[in-house]
Amino acid sequence: MYSLGIDIGSTTSKGALLADGNRIVATALRNAGIGTDGPEEVVKELLRASDLDEGQIGVTVSTGYGRTLYPEAHYRVSELTCHALGAHFIFPGIRTLIDIGGQDAKVISLDGAGRMSNFQMNDKCAAGTGRFLDVMAGILQLRAGDLAGEAALAESICPISSTCTVFAESEVISHLAQGVNRKDLVAGICESVATRTGSLAKRVGVTPPLAMSGGVALNEGVRGALSRYLGVEILFSPLAQFFGGLGAALYGYQTYNKEN
Amino acid sequence: MTNQEILSVLAEAAGNPKKQLHHHLSQGRKVVALAPVYAPEELIHSQGFVPMGAWGADLELQEAKAFFPAFICSITQSIVELGIRGAYEGIHAMVIPTLCDSLKVLTQNWKHAVPSIPLIVTSYPQNRGIPAAQDYLKSGFVQISEKLEELGGTPFSEEALAKSIDLYNRHRKAMRELSSTLGKHPRISARQRSDIFKSAHFMRKEDHLELVEGLIEGLSDQESGGLPHRKEDGPASRTRVITTGILADHPRLLNILDETGFHLVADDLAHESRQYRTDAPTGGAPLDALVERFCKQQHCSVLFDPGKGRASYLADLATRENARGVIYFMTKFCDPEEFDLVPVKRNCDAAGIPFLSIEVDRQMSNFSQARTALETFKEMIEQRRM
Ligand code: SF4
Repeated sequence: MYSLGIDIGSTTSKGALLADGNRIVATALRNAGIGTDGPEEVVKELLRASDLDEGQIGVTVSTGYGRTLYPEAHYRVSELTCHALGAHFIFPGIRTLIDIGGQDAKVISLDGAGRMSNFQMNDKCAAGTGRFLDVMAGILQLRAGDLAGEAALAESICPISSTCTVFAESEVISHLAQGVNRKDLVAGICESVATRTGSLAKRVGVTPPLAMSGGVALNEGVRGALSRYLGVEILFSPLAQFFGGLGAALYGYQTYNKEN
Repeated sequence: MTNQEILSVLAEAAGNPKKQLHHHLSQGRKVVALAPVYAPEELIHSQGFVPMGAWGADLELQEAKAFFPAFICSITQSIVELGIRGAYEGIHAMVIPTLCDSLKVLTQNWKHAVPSIPLIVTSYPQNRGIPAAQDYLKSGFVQISEKLEELGGTPFSEEALAKSIDLYNRHRKAMRELSSTLGKHPRISARQRSDIFKSAHFMRKEDHLELVEGLIEGLSDQESGGLPHRKEDGPASRTRVITTGILADHPRLLNILDETGFHLVADDLAHESRQYRTDAPTGGAPLDALVERFCKQQHCSVLFDPGKGRASYLADLATRENARGVIYFMTKFCDPEEFDLVPVKRNCDAAGIPFLSIEVDRQMSNFSQARTALETFKEMIEQRRM
C-alpha cells in the first residue's frame, strides 16, 4: 500500500511517498509553504516521480503548520509527532531530535521504542530559527544556503550577543561597520542559532543518539556549533528536511492498518 | 432549570462582568473588587459588600504601559488598564494583596493610576506556621474591617461574619463537589467548566451556590447530564487531563482544548480550584477562623512552601483522578509559578505522568503554537496507549 505524507511549513512544502510503510518511493520539496500551491505541486511531483496516479494512494496525511489547510488528507497530525516518527524511521534508536524549521524550533525526546516522551517548542520568536538565518543572510548579501560554506572559512567566531532577531540585525550591521570579517560574522550567526536551540534542548534533556531535522539541519555551520555546544555527535541525513513528510506517511500507513 | 439553562446563565455571567457589576449596583448593593490571588472575602461580605473578582482581562495594554515595565505579568497590568479606562467605576474599593512582587507593584500603581477608587492593601505573613503569623494576619484583618466601615460598610459583627463563613464554606464545598462531578461528565466542555468557575468571581455567592447545587443535582440524575454530545468527537475518545497554573480562561485557548479532545477532570488553577480547597473552621471566633483558613492553605505558588508540596499534590491529584497528563498554564512573567514549574515537572516526569507547559498571558493573539503543543501532547499520550 502506498501512503503519502505532506508537510506544509511556513516557507516550504515537503512530501514523501512510502510503499508498505517501509520503502521510500519518492520525496519532493517546493520553496512555497502555507497559502501557496506548494502542497499541490509537491503531491504532483511525488506522483510523477513514482509513476503513480492519485487513485493508487491508500492514505494521505498532512502535517506542519499548514496541516489543516490540505482538505485531501485523511488524517492531520502535528509536526512533532511526524518528525519523531520520521527520525526514528531513518535512525532507529534515536533518543533526541532537534528540528529547526523556518519559523520555530522544537526539541523532542523519544523513548527506546521510538515514541515521543517529551517535547519543547521555542517561544514564538524568530531567534534560533531558519527565519533568523534568512534575515542575517540578507544583510550580508548571501543566500541562506551559502552560510555554512562561509562559516567553514571563518578564522575566528564573532559572537552575536543579541538573541532578538531585530537587535541582532543592528548588531551585525555595527560589526560590519567596524570591519569585522564577514566569514567570522557568519560563524557567529550560526553559533547564535546553535546556542539558542541548544539551551532549548537542555530544557528537555539531551540523550544521545541525537539527530537534527528541518531545513536548518542542512547547514553544517549550525550543526557543528550545536554539536560543540551540547558535547554530542549529531546524526545527519540528507533526508533531514523530509522527516515530517516521512513520519506523516508512516503514521498514515500504521493508522490505516490499525483501523482496517 | 435544566442543566443547559444553568450553564447558559453561568456563561453569561462569566462573559459579562461589567453587566454583573451594574446589576449589583442597580440593586443598591455596594461592591468591592478583589485582585488575585486571595482575599478575606467572608469579612468583606459580612460588612455588606458584594466581593467581585478582578483578575484583569484579555485586552491590549496601552495606558498601563506608563506604569509597568514590560516584564510584569499582564494580569496585574490589565487590572490597571481596566481601572484607567473606567471599567471599575462604581465600586467602593479595590483590595490588593501583596502575595507576589507584581501585586506589590500593583498596589502602588493603582494609587496613582486610579485615584478615584480607594485601595485596600492586604499584607499576608510569609511563614504561616508560627503563632506570630496568626497575630499579624488578624491585626491586618481588623484594619481591613475598619477601612470597610469607613467606606460605608456595616460595622464588624461576629454574628454576621459567622454567617458569611458558613455561606462561603457551603459554596466551597459545592465547588469541590462540582469539580469531581465534572470529572465524570466529558460532555461538559473546557469552556463551560471555565465559565462555571469564572462566574463565581462575579456573582453573589448566594446566587452562584444555588446554581451550582442545581447543576450538581442535575448532573447526578443522568449519565449524560441531559447534555448533547459534543460535536467534535465521541466523549469516549477524550483524554483526561488536569490543569494547573494561575488562570486559563481565554475562550480561544479553551476551545482548542475542546477541539483537541481533552477532558479537564480536575484543576489546580489559582483562579479556580485553589480558591475552594480549604474551608474555614466553624465553632470558634469567626475572625480566628478566617486567619486559620489562610494559614492552612497549601500547595499554591504564592504561599511560602519550602518543601514544594504542590509537586506531589499534583502527581497525586492526577493519579486519583485517573488523569493521563498534566497541563501547566504558565502565566508569562509570573515568577512564583516559574519557580514551581521545575519541581512540578520533575515530579511528573518521575511519576511517569505526561507533562506539558504552555505559556499564556492576557495578551495572547496567536494561538497556533498553543494548538500545536496541545495536539502533540494529546498524540504523545495516545501513543503511550498503543
Ligand atoms: S500571575 Fe503571578 S505574578 Fe501575576 S499577580 Fe498572579 S501570582 Fe503575581
